Amino acid sequence: MNTILVVDDEYLIADILGFALEDAGFLVLKASNGTSALEALRDRHVDLVITDYMMPRQNGEELAQAIRNDVRLVHLPVVLMSGAQAGRGRDSPMLFAAVFDKPFDIDRMIAKVRELLGT
Amino acid sequence: MVEQLKRLRTGIAGLDALLKGGLVIGSSYIVQGHPGSGKTILANQLACNHVRDGGRVLVATLLSESHERLFQYLSTLSFFDREMVGDTLQFLSAFDTLEQDGLDAVVRLLREEIARHHASLLIVDGLLNARAQAATPIDTKKFVSELQGHAAFAGCTVLLLTSSRLEEGSPEHTMVDGVIELSEQMAGNAAVRHVHLRKTRGSAALSGRHECLIGEDGLQVFPRLEALYSRPTQLGSQVLEKVGTGVPDLDRMLGGGLAQGSVTLLMGPSGVGKTALGIAFLAASSRESPGLHFGFYETPTRLRLKAQALGLGIDELERSGAVQLCWQPTTEGLLDQVGARLLEQVQASGARRVVIDSLGAFGRLAQDPARLNAFFRALTGELRARDVTVLLTWEMRDIFGAEITAPAPDLSSLVDNLVLMRLAELDACVHRVLSVIKVRDSDHDPSLQSLTLSPQGIRLGRAFEGAAGVLSGTAVQQDDR
Repeated sequence: MNTILVVDDEYLIADILGFALEDAGFLVLKASNGTSALEALRDRHVDLVITDYMMPRQNGEELAQAIRNDVRLVHLPVVLMSGAQAGRGRDSPMLFAAVFDKPFDIDRMIAKVRELLGT
Repeated sequence: MVEQLKRLRTGIAGLDALLKGGLVIGSSYIVQGHPGSGKTILANQLACNHVRDGGRVLVATLLSESHERLFQYLSTLSFFDREMVGDTLQFLSAFDTLEQDGLDAVVRLLREEIARHHASLLIVDGLLNARAQAATPIDTKKFVSELQGHAAFAGCTVLLLTSSRLEEGSPEHTMVDGVIELSEQMAGNAAVRHVHLRKTRGSAALSGRHECLIGEDGLQVFPRLEALYSRPTQLGSQVLEKVGTGVPDLDRMLGGGLAQGSVTLLMGPSGVGKTALGIAFLAASSRESPGLHFGFYETPTRLRLKAQALGLGIDELERSGAVQLCWQPTTEGLLDQVGARLLEQVQASGARRVVIDSLGAFGRLAQDPARLNAFFRALTGELRARDVTVLLTWEMRDIFGAEITAPAPDLSSLVDNLVLMRLAELDACVHRVLSVIKVRDSDHDPSLQSLTLSPQGIRLGRAFEGAAGVLSGTAVQQDDR
């Protein structure tokens, strides 16, 4: 079973997306900012990260940068879900494997996750 | 010399006027009001304006509401620019931190985020949730105190939003430097919004309630005119000059014309010729002494037609910029909004002679008629101070009749000159009658004059000699009594 880390300071969005991913057969971990996401990535095996952009302590772009700078995580796919900063994510294809504008269709997100994981 | 506190401009013109320049930098304010009262709009409008002024803003919510929903809603308002979000305008949710780790953790988080984003303005939405999480009122006090302490240290101004109307003795109120209350109440079928500065520590502010509107440009605040202009903004000219009315016969009755910077009230029933005298007054405008017609009933097209009928074409004056016609429908607007618009028009056009047709329309816009006297006093006082010579009209209800009602109590004390116009029946004919009742500090001709309107202009002439009771509307020849 693949493990997905959902990172968002808005717990409702993390919860709703988490439930949908669990229903789709994934194991879901959650973090409310980039700093706690990195801690989780160092403690647990994660196959893919879905992150918000604007979060306290460390934003989505900073988190993706930290992942690319870590030799153990460098190949980990990161999906950005963002409202206002989606364009910034699309300008950084090295950081993000996919970018979703909020609000988005959860089924499309799950299909993209499956595609990125090859499941 | 008294030190002036540095201000953070809200960018909401009326609110900055109430706050005497804006929020005090490094201070903390509560914005309170029921759901729908406009707190979120005020806060985000202020945030966007502050970013445009070069500031950096952090908006933190203690509520479970989604930012995305907020952005969708804000995207319908002209001040909001999504491009700001994520850079100079940061939004974050502290709801989870509050739920999981409590108030101290929220303070730590916000302190870190203020420093990380170099925020000069912090907005915290959901103060009530912080209160609910606090074990005692002292914990709430500590939360607010620590938050404002950290923010002030960083030179950051704080807005705390709450949907509850906190009492004056509440811990939150005692801690903050200012309280801005937004409210909405029904006036008939219309909802009227108000803003009220309940507390402004160490800072002058315009007290009382002030009307406001929410539209696609966000919140607009209209300070009560009598508060804003409790003292006129200028001293006015020290030189007493006469200004022609555009009707030579009337100038003669007034001892040479109207005093510059004076206010004259034309009272009379519908059809007596008030608007015609107003047009004549305007037609005497020039580029050096421009005129403004601020009317509620006659559209500019109708005014031009009336002017033509009196042989007083004003088209050329309009084209040269010497005359402006500003029409304000009575179906819309708030009293102070319209008062402010009038003064803006005067400022923008440089008008030195203004016709307001009519004063009664202001009364229809007033939610609280008891204010009208103070409103008119402030409005006319400010116009006088700007050396504007003003002609006001007031439509009397009865076409004929002895009763004369003033638009507001003590109105005659607000005006310098009073001209009474009546329709009078004499010898099976209706006549227009004019008499100058009062001219401040000047002699005048008190005689009754008949008023003739024709394509050759406006003429006054002695009439009704030997008649009595003319102003009552039904004249009788004294020989007949």
